[in-house]
Amino acid sequence: MVSAGQASEQGQPAALPRILPPFLRPARHGLPPLLLVLPSLLLATAIVVYPFFVIVRLSLSNVSPFGQLRGFVGWANYAAVLADPIFYGALWRTLIWTAAVVGGTVLISMPVALVLQQEFYGRAIARIVIMLPWALSLAMAAILWEWSFNADYGMINGVLRNLGLSSGAIHWMARADTAFPVEIGVGILVSIPFTATIFQGGLSSMPTEIYEAARVDGASGVQQFRYLTLPLLKPFIQIAIVLNVIYVFNSFPIIWVMTHGGPDNSTHILVTYAYELAFGLGRPGPAAAISVLMLAIVLAFTMVYLHLQREPT
Amino acid sequence: MARQTTGFGRRAVLGGAAALPMLRPTWASAAETVRFVVAEYSNATGPYFEQMAQEFHQANPGIDVKIEVVNWNVLLQTLQTDISGGTAPDLSIIGTRWLLDFVKDGVAEPMDTYMTPDFKQRFVPIFLQPGSIGGKIYGLPIAASARAMFYNKAIMTRAGFPNGPTTWDDVVAAARKIKGTGSYGFGLQGKEIETDVYWYYALWSYGGELVNSQGKAAFDGPAGVQALTLYKMLVEQGLTESGVTSYNREDLQNLFKQGRLGMVITAPFLIGQIAKESPNLQYGIVPVPRGTTQSTYAVTDSIVMLKSSRVKQAAFKFLEFIFSKQPRVLFNKNEGFLPTTRADAEDPYFADDPRLKVFIDLMPHAHFAPVIAGWEDVAQDVINSLQSVYLGNTQPEAALKRAAGQADQVL
Repeated sequence: MVSAGQASEQGQPAALPRILPPFLRPARHGLPPLLLVLPSLLLATAIVVYPFFVIVRLSLSNVSPFGQLRGFVGWANYAAVLADPIFYGALWRTLIWTAAVVGGTVLISMPVALVLQQEFYGRAIARIVIMLPWALSLAMAAILWEWSFNADYGMINGVLRNLGLSSGAIHWMARADTAFPVEIGVGILVSIPFTATIFQGGLSSMPTEIYEAARVDGASGVQQFRYLTLPLLKPFIQIAIVLNVIYVFNSFPIIWVMTHGGPDNSTHILVTYAYELAFGLGRPGPAAAISVLMLAIVLAFTMVYLHLQREPT
Repeated sequence: MARQTTGFGRRAVLGGAAALPMLRPTWASAAETVRFVVAEYSNATGPYFEQMAQEFHQANPGIDVKIEVVNWNVLLQTLQTDISGGTAPDLSIIGTRWLLDFVKDGVAEPMDTYMTPDFKQRFVPIFLQPGSIGGKIYGLPIAASARAMFYNKAIMTRAGFPNGPTTWDDVVAAARKIKGTGSYGFGLQGKEIETDVYWYYALWSYGGELVNSQGKAAFDGPAGVQALTLYKMLVEQGLTESGVTSYNREDLQNLFKQGRLGMVITAPFLIGQIAKESPNLQYGIVPVPRGTTQSTYAVTDSIVMLKSSRVKQAAFKFLEFIFSKQPRVLFNKNEGFLPTTRADAEDPYFADDPRLKVFIDLMPHAHFAPVIAGWEDVAQDVINSLQSVYLGNTQPEAALKRAAGQADQVL
């Protein structure tokens, strides 16, 4: 940095910086900043902006099952979606799903991170064990759990039977009353590694002196957690909530693998319903409309949440 | 939860990249390459078509056939993406019920101009019918199956029906005897693909129809209500497996293979699976139980030629080879399907097998799925209504009225 800055000061003609607008001015750097971020801007355009443009166009068109545009239809796809009772069921379930999975994840990840922060024999191994599920693809995890909850030969029913807790086979996936909570549980389990890692990062960045001071002042463990750890961890909890809400809201594999949104559409969330509309029922137009609505919901949530968090300070 | 898939992002990216292959020069005159997408019926499907491509290439050195094996669950999606992206294959296997959408979108090529009268004569006529739309043949029947009832001999002998049930009353009586013995009586499918078909078996056996002559939903008629009332009663009285809505077709077949299920209605390919996986199972095959009439469901899968193909002559030449006797016999033996050409129907393997004969004899009573745009939608509505009845949430008549109302918006 230093040497580059010196080089530019010596090498650049003196008039140039004043002609160029500020963001293109070489200033103290070797290259104009815009040039440096250009590759990532292009990449973002290709990966985010172009598909976004396509999906908005699909949502405003009559689209054949093969993705051919049969003409502009305005808001008709949105009207069809908003008149569809299954959409509202899925919307409501998406909110429950997101709140339950994110809430459960944060609640469980906190003690997990706190325990892993303590010195104990085998901590390194425990940390790896907590991290390992992250290496497993979501679809694979969902398939494993689907087998585990199988009524006839699943591990869960086997354990319950051996413990004498149930006599017959419980058909977990046959009804939404049992299937959806099971799916939420799996969602929480697979989200813990990521969240616990964020919390661990936060905990290890904390100064130890303040805890020593607190102990000297006679603060109990609970008080230390309440008045030191929690406030200091707040930014990490916030980022964990925002990122998890975005991931969980859009999470497709668990529900799709375990119940396909059924029986009788009773476990669909928006993303599985959009997929079924597009590729099961051959209606890409309304499915694109749902995707756009989902994007709007996540954007709105993120903005409101970040705004609320900014206010107190 | 670091992953998300809506499918749309992927589709859009593929669409963007799809323009590139079109720039590639064509060597049509030197060596033609025919791209053929095949659906994976079993582990034997890929090797079989590779072998056929090789044999064909030896006889026709100017034509290369490139086989792409795709899983059934993603086949339609793969084709949709490829077709909309401009990288469609030349030939593809598809479910015949998708054919109308292909024809409506103008992506399938009618094959009448390529077919000699002699070639057309090769097929069993009833199997050519589902692939014809508006008087033109768009799909050739690569696979055909009908449905019949498999019964476990040990269980059914104890229940007093050593030769299997012939009517629904027999099914109910047998299932009542089986109940409480640790086995299940009548296997009822409650989720995923063909859950609706499992109910059509009974509907057709009571003389019902799915759509009327005006192309509107008719499955909510008296036969449909009677069929669903029967199934509801079976579920409520514990005469089926428990937790019906968590069993798909494969789950039911697995129960049967394990010897835990008395009766199940399914396709002839279960014969091959039993031979491989539980060769000691004693079972018999009888027609789908009668209500007021005999009936079965027949399904074909079709090979279509894509309109965008630039090697149509070469592609059809390969079809002529695939639909000759030896390749057909080998395919049907591998996969456990019914013969679709006259030549392989006469092969002793099919003509003399008493089990396959049950299926072949049912063919005159066969119903096909209606060839109607949007049928896939209707099937999903029907499945949802059936599930809500099996779960005890809705009465049969109300559920069917609901599904028929939704269906008529599409039909």
